[in-house]
Amino acid sequence: MISTLKHYVKTFTLFELLQGLSVTGKYFFKKKITIQYPEQKTPMSPRFRGHHALRRYDNGEERCIACKLCEATCPALAIKIESEEREDGTRRTTRYDIDMFKCIYCGFCEEACPVDAIVETRVFEYHFESREGSIITKDELLAFGDKHETQIAKDRAVEAAYR
Amino acid sequence: MSETITIEVNGKTLSAQAGEMLIAVTDANEIDIPRFCYHKKLSIAANCRMCLVEVEKAPKALPACATPVMDGMKVWTRSPSALAAQQATMEFLLINHPLDCPICDQGGECELQDVSVAYGSDKSQYVEAKRIVFDKNIGPLISTDLTRCIQCTRCVRFGAEIAGMRELGMIGRGDRESIATFAGQCVTSELSGNVVDVCPVGALTMKPSRYKARAWEVIQHAAIAAHDSVGSNVYHHTFTQQVMRTVPSENDAVNECWISDRDRFSYEGLYSDERLTQPMLKKRGEWHVVTWDEALETTAKILNEANKDQTGVLASANATLEELYLLQKSMRAIGIDHIDHRVRQTDFSGQNAAPLAPSLGVSLEDLEKQDAVLLIGSNIRYEQPMANHRLRKASLQNAKIMTLNPYHIEFNYDTTEQSVSSVAEMLSNLAAIAKAAGVELTHFSNIEVDEQTQNIATYLKEADQALLLLGNLATQHPAYADLCALAQLIAEKTGATLGYLPEAANTAGAWLAGVVPHRQAAAQAVQTMGKSAQEILTDSTKTFVLLGLEAEFDTDNPQKSIQALAQADNVIAINSYVNPRLKEYATVLLPASQTVETSGTFVNMEGRLQSFKGVSKLLGDARPTWKILRVLGNLLDVDGFDYMSSEDVRNELKVKLEQTNAYQAEASPEAKPMDIASSPVSEHSFHRIGTVQMYSGDSLLRRAIALQQAAGDERRRVTLHPDDIARLDLGDEQTVSVAQGDSSVRMSLVADSAIPIHSALLPSATQKSVELGSAFGMIQITKG
Amino acid sequence: MTSILSQHEREEIDYWLARYPEDQRQSALLGALRAVMHHDKYISGEKVAAVAEYLDIPKIAVYEVASFYSMFELDKKSAARHSISVCTNVSCMLRGSDDVIAYIENKIGVKEGETTSDGKFYFKREEECLAACVGAPMMQVDHVYYENLDNEKIDKILDGLE
Repeated sequence: MISTLKHYVKTFTLFELLQGLSVTGKYFFKKKITIQYPEQKTPMSPRFRGHHALRRYDNGEERCIACKLCEATCPALAIKIESEEREDGTRRTTRYDIDMFKCIYCGFCEEACPVDAIVETRVFEYHFESREGSIITKDELLAFGDKHETQIAKDRAVEAAYR
Repeated sequence: MSETITIEVNGKTLSAQAGEMLIAVTDANEIDIPRFCYHKKLSIAANCRMCLVEVEKAPKALPACATPVMDGMKVWTRSPSALAAQQATMEFLLINHPLDCPICDQGGECELQDVSVAYGSDKSQYVEAKRIVFDKNIGPLISTDLTRCIQCTRCVRFGAEIAGMRELGMIGRGDRESIATFAGQCVTSELSGNVVDVCPVGALTMKPSRYKARAWEVIQHAAIAAHDSVGSNVYHHTFTQQVMRTVPSENDAVNECWISDRDRFSYEGLYSDERLTQPMLKKRGEWHVVTWDEALETTAKILNEANKDQTGVLASANATLEELYLLQKSMRAIGIDHIDHRVRQTDFSGQNAAPLAPSLGVSLEDLEKQDAVLLIGSNIRYEQPMANHRLRKASLQNAKIMTLNPYHIEFNYDTTEQSVSSVAEMLSNLAAIAKAAGVELTHFSNIEVDEQTQNIATYLKEADQALLLLGNLATQHPAYADLCALAQLIAEKTGATLGYLPEAANTAGAWLAGVVPHRQAAAQAVQTMGKSAQEILTDSTKTFVLLGLEAEFDTDNPQKSIQALAQADNVIAINSYVNPRLKEYATVLLPASQTVETSGTFVNMEGRLQSFKGVSKLLGDARPTWKILRVLGNLLDVDGFDYMSSEDVRNELKVKLEQTNAYQAEASPEAKPMDIASSPVSEHSFHRIGTVQMYSGDSLLRRAIALQQAAGDERRRVTLHPDDIARLDLGDEQTVSVAQGDSSVRMSLVADSAIPIHSALLPSATQKSVELGSAFGMIQITKG
Repeated sequence: MTSILSQHEREEIDYWLARYPEDQRQSALLGALRAVMHHDKYISGEKVAAVAEYLDIPKIAVYEVASFYSMFELDKKSAARHSISVCTNVSCMLRGSDDVIAYIENKIGVKEGETTSDGKFYFKREEECLAACVGAPMMQVDHVYYENLDNEKIDKILDGLE
C-alpha cells in the first residue's frame, strides 16, 4: 500500500527525471575538462612513455655501451643491437634499431638501462610514411635525443628520487 | 684403492673415498658449494674462501676445497654459520670488483655474478675508493681487464700445471696484487686460450670476440674441432648464424675440458675476404660467375670427356668422411683410379703394409698411462697439442718420453732422451735403436749403437707399457716406409705398441673412405692400382680435381705442384677459399663449405667416429660439399647417389667398415738405408726441415687473423745452427738467399742451436715456401 | 744470459743452493735476490731473467717474489747508495714518525719515494711495521736499525754516511 503510494508520488513529481537532470546541471556549471587538441594539450607526467631517444653525456659522447640489456628485457623483441670494440677500446653499438610497430611502450628498456642511454620521451605525436619507416635507427634515435635533451634531462631530474 | 667412508652433508648420508676433498664429494652428489679458486683439474689453492662450510666440531667454517673427508664427518653447506661465512666472503670479493657487468663479455655467464646472486648480499658496507689495475697486453688472443680480477690464481695454476709454461704470475702483494707476465711479454702457450675458460670473472676474455655478442644471445652448437687428429669436442657459439666464438665441450675421453688455441680461434678465418662464394668458370682466360647448373654440368662434361688415366683427384684430409667417401665413389665409378689425400707424403713404397687407418694404437686416455714413449719424427706439442697434454701427464708420472727428430724440440715437460740428427740420419738412428733392442738387421751393418740409442732401447724394453709413435715429420720423411718398417720391428722386439699420429683432422677417415690409390673404401681391393699424390702431381696429369686443397701450401713440393697444375687442361677446384694462385691454375671453381657449415664425421687418432652438424650459415651461393659431390655423382650417372642426408652416406660406409674389422695389412718391406747423400754436396747445401707450423696447417687457419698475429714472423724465417752461420760468415746478414730447385727467395736468418749442423729449419705452407721445392729436400743458402 | 751476474752474486747464490736439496733450487731465490739487491741497489729485469735462468725456474716466478717483498726495489730510480726507511706503523706514528719524515725530507731535499739527485739517498716509503716498536720512532738505514730518533740523532746518522 505504502510502496504503491511512493511509486505514484515519484511518477507524478518526475523525481527520477530531475535526479538525472541534476547530474547534467552539475556538469553544466562545473569547470570543463575537454580540450581542443591539437591546439590545446593535457598536462603530462614526467614519466610519460612516448617516442624513444638515445642520450649523450654532456661532452657529446653517446651513453650507450651496447650491454644489450634493453634488447634482452624487451617483451616485444622490438630492439636489435649489434656491437663491437670501437677504436678507442670502448664497447659501442654498430647498430641500434627499434621497431616502433613492435614496441608496446612498456618502458622496460629505460628501466633496464644502466647508463640512462635509452629513454622514452614525452613525444607521442609522430607518424611513418612507409612500413620501413617504423624502424628507427641509432642515428635517428641519437638525433631525437639531442633535440629533446633539455626536456629529457628535466624529467629525469624530477624523477631521480623515485628511481 | 682407498677405503670407502660415509659422511653426512646437510643430513644426507654420502659415501666417499678417504682423503677426497669435501668439495669433490659434494660435486659428485650434486650439492652446490660456491667456489672460485677451486677447479677440478687444477691444484688446490684455497685462497678465495668462497667454499666455506660448517663442519661439526670445527670452531669456524672450513673451506670445502681443502678439507679432506673423514669417516662420520657432519657438514652443513647452508646452515646459518656457513651462509654467514659465504656472504662475508662475497662482500669482501666484491669490494674491489668493478660494477662494469654491462660492458663485460663475461656478463651473463659469470661465476661471480651467479654466486653473488645466490650467496651474496644486496648491500655493501664498503664506501672507500675501489682499486684500479691497469690492463696489460698479453698477446693477440687474450684481452685483460685486470681490475675485475679476484686473485683466484686459476690462470697461474693452469699455466704451471696444464700448459706446462708458467707465463702468467701474480705480482705484488695485498691490494696491489695483479696478474702479469714477465716484462710484459705475450703469452705463447699453445693452450693459452683456456685461461679464459678457467677465469671465473671477466678479467681474461677472448680478444677476437671482444664485445661482439652477449652470452645470452648466442646459440650453442656441439661440434668437433677440425685442426688436428685429436678431434677435440667443442661448442661453437653462433650469433646471427655466424660463429662468434668456440669453447671446449667437456669429454674426458678426448680433450678433457681444454682445447688448443688453434681450435678455439680458427673460426675467424671463416669470414675472410678470400671465401669463395659463387661458382665460377674460366672461359678464354677470364673468370665468369655462373649458375650452379652450368658449373656442375661443365664439371661433369670435363670429367666424362677426360682421359681417365690422365686424371688425378686430390683431397684434403680436413674434408669430412662423407665428402671423401662420395668423392672416391663417384670418381672410381667413372674410371678414375688416381685418388689420394697424402699430399705432403713423399715415400709411398710401404703403403701396402699400412694398417686399415693410421691410429694411435691405444686410447687417448691410455696415452697418459704409458711408461715409455718414443716419438719418431713428431713435434707433437704443436701438431696435436691435446695429445701432447696426455703425454705431459704421463711424463709427470715419471714416464720416459723420448724423441727422434731432425731438430731439438722444446717440450713443456722433461724429455728423457732427444735424439737429434739430420733428416737423412734419422733413419740410421732408428736403425741403431733397433739394433740396440736386439733386432736382426740385414742392411745397416755398419750402424753403431751409442749410449743414447742404447738407453732408448732399454727404456722401451723395460717399460710395462711402451709406445712408439710416428708423427707428421715421419710421414713426410723421404724414407717413411723404412721408418715404419724399423718402428714395427722395434715394437715387436720390445713389446711396445706401434701407433701413428695422423696429420690432419680426418686423415684416418681418408684411409677408411678409400681416398688412397691402392685401396677402396673400407680397404676393399682396387681393380687398377692408382697413382699416389706425388705421381699425380706431374705433367702427365691433364685433368685435376682438388677438394679443399690449396696446392701451393698443402703439398710437399709447391714448385712442382704449381707447374703440374699450370700445364693441366682442366683443374676443378672444390674449395671454400680462393687465392690468386688458385685462380691462375684452376678452370672451374665450386664454392664449398667449411667444416662448421656442413654436417659430417671425423675419425680421430683413436679411430673414434665423431659426427657433427652444420652450425653456421653458408656464405653466398656456397653449398655443403657433400651435396655438391652428390649432385656431381648424379650428373655423372653414377648409381647409388640418392642420399638424403650426410648420415645416409656415413651409414653406408659404416656397414662396409663393419665387414673389415679383421683387416690384415701386408708385411712391411725390409728397411733399407737411405740413398740420399748424408753429407751435403757443397758447403752451402743444407737439409731442409720443412715442418708445417702450428698455425699454417690448413686454409682456415691461414686466414684466422688473431692466430696469424700470434704465430708471428718466426715461421717466415730460415733457422740455422750458429756454427753454420759462422762457417758461411752469414753473421752480419739480416737476410740470406735461399735457393731450391729453379727459384730462390730472400729470407731473414735466425740462429738456433736446436738445429743440427748442415740442416735448416724452413717451414712449409708459408708465403715464402710457396716458391720453393720439396719440404725435406736440399736447399742452398748464400749471402744476399 | 747468466753472464750478467757478477762473480760475487754467483758465489752467493751457490752458497744458498748448497744449503737446500738439489731438486729445490727455487729455495735459493731469496738469497739470490738479496745478493742482486746488495750489488746493484735495485733488481733490474735483466737480473731477474738471469737469476731465473741460473736457478732454472720460470722468470715470472722470480718476478713474483721480487715484487712481493718490500725490501726489493725493481725501479732503477730507487737505486742509491743509501736507502732510508722510516717506520710509520702505529707505534711509531704515535711517537712522532710524521715529524721524523718531515725533518728528513727537509734535510735531504726529496719527498718519500724519491732519490736525491746526487744518488746518495733513496727515501723509501715504508709500509710495514719494522718490528722495533720498543724504540719508536725508528728508521732503517741500509739494514741498520736506529731507534728513539730525534733531530740531532738523525743529523748525526745521515751526516756520518758517505
